[in-house]
Amino acid sequence: MNSKESIASVLSVERSGIEVADPWSAIEACYDKGWTDGLPVVPPTDRLVDAMLATGPWQPGEVLLYEPVRDRAVTAEKAAINAVMAGCLPTYFPVVGAALQAIGDPLFMLHGPATSTGGAALMIIVNGPIREQFGFNAKGNLFGPGCRANATIGRTLRLVLLNCLDCKPGILDKSTQGWPGKYSLCFAEDEASSPWGPLHVSRGFAAEQSTVTVFAAESGHNILSHGTTDPEQLLACFIDAMAGLGSFSPGYTVIVFTPEHVVHLARAGWSRRQTQQWLYDHAWRSLADLKRGGKLEPSFYAEAARVDWLYSDSPDSRPSPLPSPAEAGRVFSGDENVRVHRGIGPDDILLTVGGADAGGHSAFFPSWSRGRAVPFVTKEVPT
Amino acid sequence: MRILDPTIQQKATKRTVPMASRPQSLSGATIGLLANSKSNSMALLDRLAEILSDRYQIGNVVRISKGDLKAPMSRVDADRLVGSCTAVITAIGD
Repeated sequence: MNSKESIASVLSVERSGIEVADPWSAIEACYDKGWTDGLPVVPPTDRLVDAMLATGPWQPGEVLLYEPVRDRAVTAEKAAINAVMAGCLPTYFPVVGAALQAIGDPLFMLHGPATSTGGAALMIIVNGPIREQFGFNAKGNLFGPGCRANATIGRTLRLVLLNCLDCKPGILDKSTQGWPGKYSLCFAEDEASSPWGPLHVSRGFAAEQSTVTVFAAESGHNILSHGTTDPEQLLACFIDAMAGLGSFSPGYTVIVFTPEHVVHLARAGWSRRQTQQWLYDHAWRSLADLKRGGKLEPSFYAEAARVDWLYSDSPDSRPSPLPSPAEAGRVFSGDENVRVHRGIGPDDILLTVGGADAGGHSAFFPSWSRGRAVPFVTKEVPT
Repeated sequence: MRILDPTIQQKATKRTVPMASRPQSLSGATIGLLANSKSNSMALLDRLAEILSDRYQIGNVVRISKGDLKAPMSRVDADRLVGSCTAVITAIGD
């Protein structure tokens, strides 16, 4: 059971590489070596890597991420090589480093989301002045292609997992299907459109600080609503998606409100907390529904925390004795009245804002895993 | 031109874990079963224990389910397995 305390914070660096004839040969060589995510990479020459390292506050051998299960330490040098390959501008490197530190935080337990059959993407939400400084996209086509900062910084995390942590498909990455967010899922919050102030301020940072918040995400759900300005009617679409059997869990939620939706909440005076509470209160399924959908596994009744979650909103006391594993899926009388909520409280629901000014399309991202998943982690970007 | 290697081949701590000595026989041996807490992992291990009992006449079985599938097992559980078992089998079951 290694911890980062058992390794040095700065390691020695010995550069190694391969000789190639020209940049085009270099691109093919990276494919041949298995160093890519399936897309071509920028050849990481000494000059490009030096330029990348120069913009960060870290020595080349400084450890940005330690993964204890594989006992691998990702230094600033290795991070810079992968950032070059991803297509990052050198100025992006402090953001890359902060994002690696975030996913390397012991709270994030990276081994789980990086290797699970669940196929999580590593979402990065950017806040603070660097959004404008580096040209992050917080508006139209928020999750889609076209913005260098969004695309390449998110991509760097995946290349680090592939190249440095052996999280290659079929080897350590056991994703059953995965999803395209695994290529890159990085965007900035549209802080100007948020009625609640910036996300990172709500998480304890100052507005003038720049931060990244990371989240292990399943594929997102488009929340389409164009017919109402009433907050509860609008949010009814969101809770319907949040309570969907396919993604139902005691885990976390990210809601990305588009400006056209969040303005209705703002005009009605709904606070961030009020919105989180309403979503949590109303995103539930009956225990009977969960059982009919095959969501109660035999092992659940052996897990105290899971049992607490299942019966936290029940008009009656929980059954005693609890159902045996063999009866986990059997619908008992009274199960229709047991409300099982998505997550375990309103703090499990992170609200952010982004997208074009026109269009009633928001997004719901469930956390990876049919269990509790891993929490959000926010780190400051060094400037 | 040279391009740099983006991979990491070496472990960070460079710790070496010596191989445990191989038991000469499993007859009467206490076998540890460490499940990752998914529903089917202990079922798989239990079936394996039945086969080992039939073929090798193993002794007691110590069952441990991690509880949190994404976290390492606890030091308490590790010490219990080391202190009581001749061999340990671990499994994941999704």
